[in-house]
Amino acid sequence: MRTNKPAAPVMLALACVVVMVVTATSSARPSAKPSWCGAKKIKLGFTDGFGGNSWRLVTTASARGEAKKCPSVTSIDYADGQGNTQKAISDIQGMVAKGVDALVVFPDAGKAMLPALRSSYKAGVVTVPYRVDPGGKAGVDYNVWIDTPFAKAGEAWGKWIRRVLPKGGNVLMLSGPKGNSQGVEENKGLHKILDPSGKYKFIGEKPFEVTNWDPALTQKVLSAAIAKYSKIDVIVSDFGPSLVGALPEFTKSGRKIPALATSDGNVLGCFWRKNRAKNPTFKLFTVSTQNDHARLAIQWAVALATGGKKPATTHFPALTFEDSTTGRPHPVECRPNLPGDIYLSAELPAIVQAKLVKK
Amino acid sequence: MAAETQIPGRADAATVVRRGSRSLFSRGLITVGAATVGLVAISWIFAPSSLTRGTLLTMLPFAAALAIASLGQTLVVMQGGIDLSVAGGLSLYVVIVTKYPAGDNGRLLAAIAIAFAAAAVAGAVNGFLIGRLRLNPIVATLGTNALLFGAVLWYTAGIPTTTTARLARIGGGLWFGIPAPVYFAVAATVLVAAVVKLTAAGRRFEGVGANAVAARTAAIRVRRHRAAAYVWAQLLYCLAGVLHAGIVNQPTAYEGNNYLLPTVAAVVLGGTSLLGGRGNLVATAIAALFLSQLDQFVLALGVTYATRTLVQAAALAVGVALYTVNWRRLARRLPRPRFATATPT
Repeated sequence: MRTNKPAAPVMLALACVVVMVVTATSSARPSAKPSWCGAKKIKLGFTDGFGGNSWRLVTTASARGEAKKCPSVTSIDYADGQGNTQKAISDIQGMVAKGVDALVVFPDAGKAMLPALRSSYKAGVVTVPYRVDPGGKAGVDYNVWIDTPFAKAGEAWGKWIRRVLPKGGNVLMLSGPKGNSQGVEENKGLHKILDPSGKYKFIGEKPFEVTNWDPALTQKVLSAAIAKYSKIDVIVSDFGPSLVGALPEFTKSGRKIPALATSDGNVLGCFWRKNRAKNPTFKLFTVSTQNDHARLAIQWAVALATGGKKPATTHFPALTFEDSTTGRPHPVECRPNLPGDIYLSAELPAIVQAKLVKK
Repeated sequence: MAAETQIPGRADAATVVRRGSRSLFSRGLITVGAATVGLVAISWIFAPSSLTRGTLLTMLPFAAALAIASLGQTLVVMQGGIDLSVAGGLSLYVVIVTKYPAGDNGRLLAAIAIAFAAAAVAGAVNGFLIGRLRLNPIVATLGTNALLFGAVLWYTAGIPTTTTARLARIGGGLWFGIPAPVYFAVAATVLVAAVVKLTAAGRRFEGVGANAVAARTAAIRVRRHRAAAYVWAQLLYCLAGVLHAGIVNQPTAYEGNNYLLPTVAAVVLGGTSLLGGRGNLVATAIAALFLSQLDQFVLALGVTYATRTLVQAAALAVGVALYTVNWRRLARRLPRPRFATATPT
């Protein structure tokens, strides 16, 4: 009798667990399997050169979310290189040794990652680097490289500048470390659109002012530029949120914040809303920070490994996001009750991002 | 006790205490003061835009935070040590006062209290390792630095948080037309200098740094003083970190790295000997102002990033050479000019 007594609650608990599992799996399963998801079961690996900022966090979560859309992906492994090239290389080798079938790599160290990518590819793992150019050739060193045309972002900024400043003006461009390929490419796109008119003058260091994407340095660089140039009509920057601490320099100098062409971030949108009334010249245009670039890379890796349908392109487009002058494709967005370090242009819902960042 | 008399370099350090140490204006203060005036004059001539009100309002808060952190470094150097954990410590305090409140002004005070508590613990660890276990300060503080960065990564995963509005108002605000952090820097400098120079405890502290053997003979607790320097230093870094978080609205998780070299540079430029002994605290604070203005001057010149870096390095080398090279001896060693006999006829 003693043994029979607890049987009822145990059975009940078991039944509950079964019901929960069934409902969980049925709700987790997407209604329609995406076309890039083939039938073959695979293990997926995802390695990052440097995972330590909110952008990477959202990007990694986006990649996981995309992979989960395909039921053929049985497991997802993630490794963070922590800004250490040697670790990033051994992460790739570790993934291959673990027996992943497909590997998506953010090769921060660029060409230094090529030998590791090649060995993974030669070992028969579907290898898909994205965003940073690792050199090498598709089909020889890796399966396919999913790039994004940074110059297109420069072109989008240029077109907007021509629209809001039709009479021309002084353009100040800020980017990260000296000579970084993203800034160089964006600058080319910007010149391509603005130079033919002959009305726009680039001021400051060429091709761009070096800020290392460091907010403190950005502040110093911008205040030096404000003092040096009595007229700055538009600022172009590829890391919008880092300007939030620096833009008040204009107010401190008794000047109005000029037009800004940059990339999106919740903190920037909220800053714009707070300051637009006192700064009529402060028009804002943003391109997406492209957290969803990782999604395209995942789609390619999964399609090649599971036998699904390949996506139509290997280029992730530069998408415009906010325009304060037209409200298209979106008006400037701000979620004041959510952290500043989230990206409203990403597919991942803002609430989910907020939870990630606050964790 | 017997082992303690064998502290290397301590007896030598006694000879480093310079003549005229009782004068109001030390050599360091005069040198760095003159250099700062000279820099302002040069800025005025070559890059007047670096002296506009807007630029000064940007430069001064950074200079203030650097001055406070450099005061901490000076206290450590006065004890013949060096504190490389300023980078990790300051980074940790910045992330505590930004991430803990996470935008909620109500939690700011608690965050600052936690940061100061963390600073006391970090300082105590350094003090124990160096004062008690007598590890080499470079090795010990390098280790602590790694631990502190570990704590930063554990707490934030490297992800920065936006500064709370109230703290941003303090860091970026103006009180009577002057950036608020400047008041903190002046107060900290006056307070630390007054305690070190005017109180009995301060004189004991300086005495231990100048000559540990003599201090021990005079029944001063050498190890305790040496350890205390690291604790006070971390508390000052913490104050600098809190202000820095306010100045920079979007601090990264690695803000302290911007302070490692400049704090040591400010100490050296201020004329405090790296062998320990007398500290020039006011001179250190002025040296911090000098370094910050130098930064802004080179930026205003509009030269490339590479040139900027070179100019800053050259200024540092000149500053260090001013104190460390024995110019009189060097002049004596140089061959006598023979112009008199070699004049062409």
